[in-house]
Amino acid sequence: MITPRQRAVVEFVLDNLVWFILAFVLAIFSLAIPNFAQPGIFINIIEQSTFVGVMAIGLAIVIIAGNMDLSVESVAGLTAMITGILFCSRGIGIGLTMTPEWLVLPVSLGIALMVGGIIGSINGWLVVKLKMSAFIVTLASYIWVRGMVDAISGGRSAQDLTPALRIMGIETFLSIPLIAWVAILCFVVFTFIMAKTPFGRHITMIGGNPVASFRAGIKVDRLIIITFILSGAIAGVAGWLLAIRTSGATANLGIGMLFRAFAAVVIGGVSLKGGIGQLPGVYAGVLLLSTIQTAMNVMALPVHYTQMILGALVLAALLLDTVKLAIRQKLA
Amino acid sequence: MTEALLKLENIARNFGAIQALRGVDLEVGRGEVVALLGDNGAGKSTLVKIIAGGLQPSSGRMIFEGMERSFASPAEAKAAGIETVYQDLSLCTNVDVVANFFMGREIVKKYFGIPVLQEAAMYSAVEKAMANAGTRIPSLRTNVEHLSGGQRQAIELNRFVHWGGKLVLLDEPFAALGVEQTRRGLDTVRRIADQGIGVVIITHIMAQAFQVADRIVVIRQGVVAGNVRAAETSPDEVVRMITGEALRSPAQETRLNGRSP
Repeated sequence: MITPRQRAVVEFVLDNLVWFILAFVLAIFSLAIPNFAQPGIFINIIEQSTFVGVMAIGLAIVIIAGNMDLSVESVAGLTAMITGILFCSRGIGIGLTMTPEWLVLPVSLGIALMVGGIIGSINGWLVVKLKMSAFIVTLASYIWVRGMVDAISGGRSAQDLTPALRIMGIETFLSIPLIAWVAILCFVVFTFIMAKTPFGRHITMIGGNPVASFRAGIKVDRLIIITFILSGAIAGVAGWLLAIRTSGATANLGIGMLFRAFAAVVIGGVSLKGGIGQLPGVYAGVLLLSTIQTAMNVMALPVHYTQMILGALVLAALLLDTVKLAIRQKLA
Repeated sequence: MTEALLKLENIARNFGAIQALRGVDLEVGRGEVVALLGDNGAGKSTLVKIIAGGLQPSSGRMIFEGMERSFASPAEAKAAGIETVYQDLSLCTNVDVVANFFMGREIVKKYFGIPVLQEAAMYSAVEKAMANAGTRIPSLRTNVEHLSGGQRQAIELNRFVHWGGKLVLLDEPFAALGVEQTRRGLDTVRRIADQGIGVVIITHIMAQAFQVADRIVVIRQGVVAGNVRAAETSPDEVVRMITGEALRSPAQETRLNGRSP
């Protein structure tokens, strides 16, 4: 029999396992790869984690609630393109300006949130009211939203984003770019919401047992729709950040991010069964992916190796999950 | 004896031409455990559903706490203090004991309009409720999935009492439990009743009924075929009531008539 203190230690390690793995991997890379351990590399890892990271938040929340949202990548592509078209001055951009100039910041962010939220609400409505499979509904959205990006752009691109927005991608705070701070802020806010508010608690419970939640008087349908709206809106923010980072938008911007976000969510300890997972873990998962990617860049390895490692990592994460579960059962 | 907690008068229920209940009278007192026995299809489940608001009676009166009531839904019955506790249908196993206890009714404090969970307050409330009921659980922070069936049942029942439940309906509560778990489950039921809660328990297992119940009510073909104090009867007698050997003709004749086209 173990003492409560030992149990607490083991639980803590299990809960934050992916952070320990991240620290381990960083240490190994720092020792084994020349020129890896320098501030520029670490900042690069954080900056790279911005877009997939933000996207992964919404995806994780939907999955914790027991559903699935495959549309996040295309939604980000759409809001990036809309931001690009409205606020770029070259290509297909119409070069919208505002007085005072800084007003474009909240306005463009608001548009991105709204567009993402609308697509999310369509997904949520179809899943809850028409009882369609979330997988199929959001797969369809993944396809039609990307089609919409092509349609509104005509396959062309927008360049030269207005300086008032670009500033977010250029300026840094504590050496870290502002857009990366946006991602960190999103993680902090949603971690708080999921862990400390009744909303987050109810989402987790719905993911665990929707029938019991409903019987306890929790408004299950309404909350599930809200998770989809949130996921869409957060993906909208990811797209907005992407447009800022690339100073414009192309029709294929963001393609492939869904799978990285997905991998991060799984590696971060979110169970696809629903009801299990914490957002800090997801952020660690994103950082872990970026770390590996950066290490491969530093070693000048071909890109397709990253993909293979990513796949292996997802499998390893699932295996780890079973091991964790076994340990927990022994503890109880 | 004081006034009954629940009183059913001549409750009947038809499903089309089929009479599931044909005039049931039943009383459950505060702190009383009533075991409901009967063969499959005798009408036990229908009766329990009517009490819990899941079904409405075709005729008859239901008096709860001295007032005539009719519940349009389980939610209405729950609001009045009547609830069915189903195994595994009312707990979220992926969160801890405290979260389950406060499911949907969390203690919050608002900061700038944002409701924030008050974990410490909830923890001590659960600790107190569990201690009052004499339930021991290693850690209230353990996720329910790691707890045994008996512990889960104890959580459900204690939660029910904590939130002002007055009459609890248990449908085969120990079907999935082992011997030791069942014994503890029966203890929990007894303790719940000792706190003044009325308990109706459906079971197939005679020994359990005798172990826990104050009164045994046998339903047979939609009517009460036996209503006896557990201390004043024997398993053999109850079996005869269930199969209908003790009181013969009217019931069986109806069944025969019912089968002929």
